[in-house]
Amino acid sequence: MGLVAEVDAELKDKGFVTARLDDLMNWARTGSMWPVTFGLACCAIEMMQAGASRYDLDRFGVVFRPSPRQSDVMIVAGTLTNKMAAPLRKVYDQMSDPKWVISMGSCANGGGYYHYSYSVVRGCDRIVPVDIYVPGCPPSAEALIYGILQLQNKIRRTSTIAR
Amino acid sequence: MADIQNFTLNFGPQHPAAHGVLRLVLEMDGEVVQKADPHIGLLHRGTEKLAESKTFNQSIGYMDRLDYASMMCNEHAYVLAVERLLGVEVPLRAQYIRVMFDEITRILNHLMWLGAHGLDIGAMTMFLYCFREREDLMDAYEAVSGTRMHATYYRPGGVYRDLPDNIPQYAPSKFRSKKEIDRLNLARSGSLLDFLQDFTDRFPKCVDEYETLLTDNRIWKQRTVNIGIVTPERAKALGFSGPMVRGSGLAWDLRKKQPYDAYAQVDFDIPVGVNGDCYDRYLVRVEEMRQSNRIIRQCIDWLRVNPGPVITGDRKVAPPRRVEMKGDMESLIHHFKLATEGYAVPEGETYAAVEAPKGEFAVWLVSDGANKPYRVKCRAPGFAHLSAMEELVRGHMLADVVAVIGTLDIVFGEIDR
Amino acid sequence: MSEIATESPAPPSRIDALAAKVEGACGARVTRVASIASELTYEVAPGDLVGVCTQLRDDPALAFDVLVDVSGIDYLTYGGEEWDTHTATSSGFSRGVTGRDESAEAPAARRFAVAYHLLSMVHNTRVRLRVHCDGVEPPLVDSVVEVWPGANWFEREAFDLFGILFRGHPDLRRILTDYGFIGHPFRKDFPLIGHVEVRYDPDKQRVVYEPVSIEPRIQVPRVIRDDHRYEPALNGRASGLPGQKNG
Repeated sequence: MGLVAEVDAELKDKGFVTARLDDLMNWARTGSMWPVTFGLACCAIEMMQAGASRYDLDRFGVVFRPSPRQSDVMIVAGTLTNKMAAPLRKVYDQMSDPKWVISMGSCANGGGYYHYSYSVVRGCDRIVPVDIYVPGCPPSAEALIYGILQLQNKIRRTSTIAR
Repeated sequence: MADIQNFTLNFGPQHPAAHGVLRLVLEMDGEVVQKADPHIGLLHRGTEKLAESKTFNQSIGYMDRLDYASMMCNEHAYVLAVERLLGVEVPLRAQYIRVMFDEITRILNHLMWLGAHGLDIGAMTMFLYCFREREDLMDAYEAVSGTRMHATYYRPGGVYRDLPDNIPQYAPSKFRSKKEIDRLNLARSGSLLDFLQDFTDRFPKCVDEYETLLTDNRIWKQRTVNIGIVTPERAKALGFSGPMVRGSGLAWDLRKKQPYDAYAQVDFDIPVGVNGDCYDRYLVRVEEMRQSNRIIRQCIDWLRVNPGPVITGDRKVAPPRRVEMKGDMESLIHHFKLATEGYAVPEGETYAAVEAPKGEFAVWLVSDGANKPYRVKCRAPGFAHLSAMEELVRGHMLADVVAVIGTLDIVFGEIDR
Repeated sequence: MSEIATESPAPPSRIDALAAKVEGACGARVTRVASIASELTYEVAPGDLVGVCTQLRDDPALAFDVLVDVSGIDYLTYGGEEWDTHTATSSGFSRGVTGRDESAEAPAARRFAVAYHLLSMVHNTRVRLRVHCDGVEPPLVDSVVEVWPGANWFEREAFDLFGILFRGHPDLRRILTDYGFIGHPFRKDFPLIGHVEVRYDPDKQRVVYEPVSIEPRIQVPRVIRDDHRYEPALNGRASGLPGQKNG
């Protein structure tokens, strides 16, 4: 209710709706980024740590969802192999718009330690468009949270209505 | 009457209960599994081939990333193999440090397993409880190696450095009161050993807590008792190891039977199950956490009173201390050669096995005398366990598949390599 | 089950006692080859493999009831170097380029082998068997799935990575590599970077395979140093090792 009142008050003063609807949508989006539980390798452990007791991602409104259909964010946590590339894209395609991708760890960023392997995709941005790259092998849970906050900033900057 | 046919169900690779990237093709008769065909390799990174293209020390990091829930145990098998071929002696203090960190790793792994397994079959709280204790142990990892997971701490000839005298503390912040910060830092004011001692004091109570939630829990027992039974004979024939054979009643533990490093000097018991079902394996793993706690405690006591070197003095294998390099020409040369070319390991082959949390993890190392391994074969316990998947789930319900996947304690880093 | 209180590398006396038992049971079908002091290695002819394995499993004095590991190995470049270190060269080795083309050299006559690591939980002993495949392509050995069911996936893996065929295996499919993968990646003549890479093609709306675009790179050249400190050890164990020096 508070927000509605606030919007109302501002609406009376200035009368501009577009920008504030953007803000409203972005506020809603940044406050409920639900990532799909898509752990590939080691980074998934840190991703779980980030969601567990100490770091508690829930307080950022980040709640892991088992289904891509209910998710907004995909955290590619771990080494993406050639065999896994097609399923990864499929999961991405199943997510509903708007959707964002966080590439977590050096394997997902560019192959990392496994760059020269015959079976590893050298960067998950060859398969899905990536918004935020989190470096590290694996990035600590704090680094992932920082990446998520950066994604929130990025979403805040986008204007949804203006084309 | 309608003709009921078996139908095929694809499980994974993206499934929250698949523990990573398992793809199962299940043939179902109603809700009963008739046939299960696990498809693996979705995380096949070619680790063994990459290790052939890197010098011996550069591949230690690959071992961490194999079974990423029990990092240092994998390193241990690899450095043991290199040490056996080189014939270097490991200082006793380093052996104790390794044993201590192996057991820390075992607790880390079992907590990970318990949390994930619980989450899979309906005990959400376990996940939060287990990961709370994991954070403490990861801090120990961080204090000793600088990273929370992939430590690369063990080196052929010992460990990278001695245990630190202090560990990272919580910094003051506007979100926490000074009183709270002081409380959090209470155990962190001393050395790493003090921190771990505090942990070993607290941890048995935590295990009691987990057991209160699960051991007599009706739902937990309904989900695990008599699911995925393995007889001792079958466990041997299928190449099982670790908790998978101990759950079936075989008291087989490499730490006792073929002790490596300082395991011969520490006192602990091997828990065994009776029925060989998921519930017994749960009990075995929980008891193993308590035993690991005992071992850590013994190692702490020993390490407190026995200072000494933690890596071999053989400068052809381990680099000299940085202080020595500043003034001593020969030390500089040794460091240069080790950093650029590595060391050559004499021709030969060895099979070094350790009791990793999941079972027998081993490295078959073949060297032709070069500075890179000729062949590194990592024997992953999970690989043998998962190969028996079909046998374990046949005739069970679909929901039990999740319980069986959980009880196998599979991690794809090591299975796919 | 017997307890041992000794250090893990079993004492030589124990190894010799085990060797006597194995040789007594299997006779001329097994040939002991040198290995480090705490281990026991035998070579077996491909034709004798299943017989020897059954014997090792069923003989109560041996009772190798667990097959711990089956692993392929390719001896193509065994003893090969990427950098001449024995004599001075003007060319040297420049970093960041491909090494010598190892595959151009003549393949070793006994190129592929399969190693079996056996464990007896009853007697707490280990033994390694090695079978060299005949020099024909594809390499072929008998499957031991009938002896130890646990061999199933390990043999599939050796087939996948090395192309070694196992006669009598119930389900010899690829296991680790990609669906539709061509070649056997762990063979020494298979490049580390592989032949294909994947990319999402927005036009075709699917993941497509393309020829690999990166260059192979060697950070540290492979060199063999005959360290005199290991000479005594070398004399003891290198004599009977498999594979021929190519260089």
